[in-house]
Amino acid sequence: MTYALQLAVAGIAVGSVYALIALGIVLIYKCSGVVNFAQGAYAMVGAYVTYFLITIGLSPVIGVLVSMGIMAGLGALTERAILRPMLKAPVVAVMMVTLGLLIVSQAICLAIWGPDQIAFPALFPSGSVEIAGIFMTYNYVATGLLSALLSLGFLAFYRYTSIGLAQRCAADNSRAALAIGIHVSNQVSLAWAMSATLAGLGGTLLATLNGLSLGLADIGLVAFPVIVLGGLSSLGGAFIAGLVLGVLQSFTDGWLTPILEDFLRAHTSIYSVGALQQVVPYALLVLMLLVRPEGLFGRRGTERV
Amino acid sequence: MKSRHLLLAVAAALFMIAVSLLVGRFEAYMIGAVAVASIGALALNLLIGACGQISLAQGALLGVGAYAAGNFGNAGWDLLALPAAGVTAALTSVLIGLPALRLRGLYFAIASLAAQTILEYLFKTVEPLTKGISGLVIKPMTLLGTPLVTDQAYAALSVVTLLITWLFMVWVMRTNLGRAFLVVRESEIVARGMGIDVARTKLWAFVASGFFVGIAGALMGFTTRLANPEAFGLPLSVDYVAMIIVGGIGSWGGSIIGAAFVVLLPELIQRLGEFLNVPNVLSAMRELAFGLLIILFLIFEPRGLAALLRRLRPVAIATAAALLGRKQSWKPQSASRRRV
Repeated sequence: MTYALQLAVAGIAVGSVYALIALGIVLIYKCSGVVNFAQGAYAMVGAYVTYFLITIGLSPVIGVLVSMGIMAGLGALTERAILRPMLKAPVVAVMMVTLGLLIVSQAICLAIWGPDQIAFPALFPSGSVEIAGIFMTYNYVATGLLSALLSLGFLAFYRYTSIGLAQRCAADNSRAALAIGIHVSNQVSLAWAMSATLAGLGGTLLATLNGLSLGLADIGLVAFPVIVLGGLSSLGGAFIAGLVLGVLQSFTDGWLTPILEDFLRAHTSIYSVGALQQVVPYALLVLMLLVRPEGLFGRRGTERV
Repeated sequence: MKSRHLLLAVAAALFMIAVSLLVGRFEAYMIGAVAVASIGALALNLLIGACGQISLAQGALLGVGAYAAGNFGNAGWDLLALPAAGVTAALTSVLIGLPALRLRGLYFAIASLAAQTILEYLFKTVEPLTKGISGLVIKPMTLLGTPLVTDQAYAALSVVTLLITWLFMVWVMRTNLGRAFLVVRESEIVARGMGIDVARTKLWAFVASGFFVGIAGALMGFTTRLANPEAFGLPLSVDYVAMIIVGGIGSWGGSIIGAAFVVLLPELIQRLGEFLNVPNVLSAMRELAFGLLIILFLIFEPRGLAALLRRLRPVAIATAAALLGRKQSWKPQSASRRRV
């Protein structure tokens, strides 16, 4: 029982980072209809920028804040410079351009910081805490809490402030939004800026857990099962699905994998099931798309000829 | 297709075969690599360009072809290993395509991303068939009993297969099925209104595309003699989508140009890097150039190199005429013909 709880808590910590990244993708999709495959690139770049700022002597808090500002600028710049000219391009072209962005940013980080994993400066005190028999390092606790709070804060911002209202208007019906005086193109840029900021923070938090490497960009792809499960157009859904998938991965790793390996070793020549926890979300994704393509919390749209 | 085009294609293929039999190992290897990539790009263009189903599972599907060919070839299936790998990949492709029966556009792209990840995982874990992370060692392919060992022979074989693939693509687009692909791409609702069985049309697109991707994968496996999971990851899928975007979505000639471009560009940069003596940033430079090219192409020339060349042709002819001298008063014919 304690073991299960331990797994669940670890899953929630990682899952809330997934939620943070997935929220960004959903926000961009709602506002500009672009599925951003480069969200992982924002996470990676954000982490590297924070690392750079801290190593040149800024205190961690200031470093993170400055890097958030830089990420916001980068997000808005991407939208203005690259996505704006492609407003009327076919889906495959837009998707591909974001993949191109992912490749370019990985190449730039590779050129500057090299291919090796770098130890990330500690943002939180080391040590661990024990609650009801569950051991958690401060890193995990802080990461999980911060991401969850940020995600919830963002959801509240989107729901209750006037900027959030304008965002929702622009996402829902851009022509009507224009008619009532909302500067839609600024709102779209703002959405990209916020989404890049969230991702950059998520990347930084993830780097404190797993170290800094180019592989951080992979989280952008892990986020896809999350948004499909929650529904491509539902922010709340993305948050809940992030937590669910985090927990699911953690249970697969700590529970299912040993059982399955014992079984396979006894009955077949297969010795290991490898990184099963990385595949389970995708299997769930396919299942979800087959059964309920609009996700758990999404709405089914209608299509005109 | 005009018979002139057919003759031209056969002549070009014969020429390339002659060239690949005469040149050295490295050149032959490059010709083979371009031909194999062209087969894969043609097949992907059938799926994306003609039928509108965006797939990111191309890399894994090539892997299925390579592993299948390795297993069949090692079991002594001779030339039959190629079509057998094609059939295996076609069946896998249908499985990948099943979600497409309910999904459209982006949603299917995401589903294919899942298929890519799951297949990659299977390459690593189903050890009896794939030998896991260490990779499957593939014996040289045998052609009617004689083993093919030289790169020249594989290059020639790849060019022949490319010709067959190209002929198939041109032929299939002239059939009712090919026209149905185009309607499904434009609008599934219209297609249904016209009495086209959308699900069946899509499945055929997956079968046809998968078959040729499998053969391309098989040729890849036989030329490299090794199939390992790392080689068939998502970056390979992205490479192939880049090929058809750079070449031109929906253009057969463009697929071949794009494949040549994406295969040869890293070589070119490699040479340039060795020349400038900057080996450290080489891999970063290669990736950077590749990513920037994709972005720039999509923004400035979304219809690809094929369209760019077509547009440049009248200009080139006019310039050539101007350079050749004004005496002949040469009129750029193709430019005026194009306008009619």
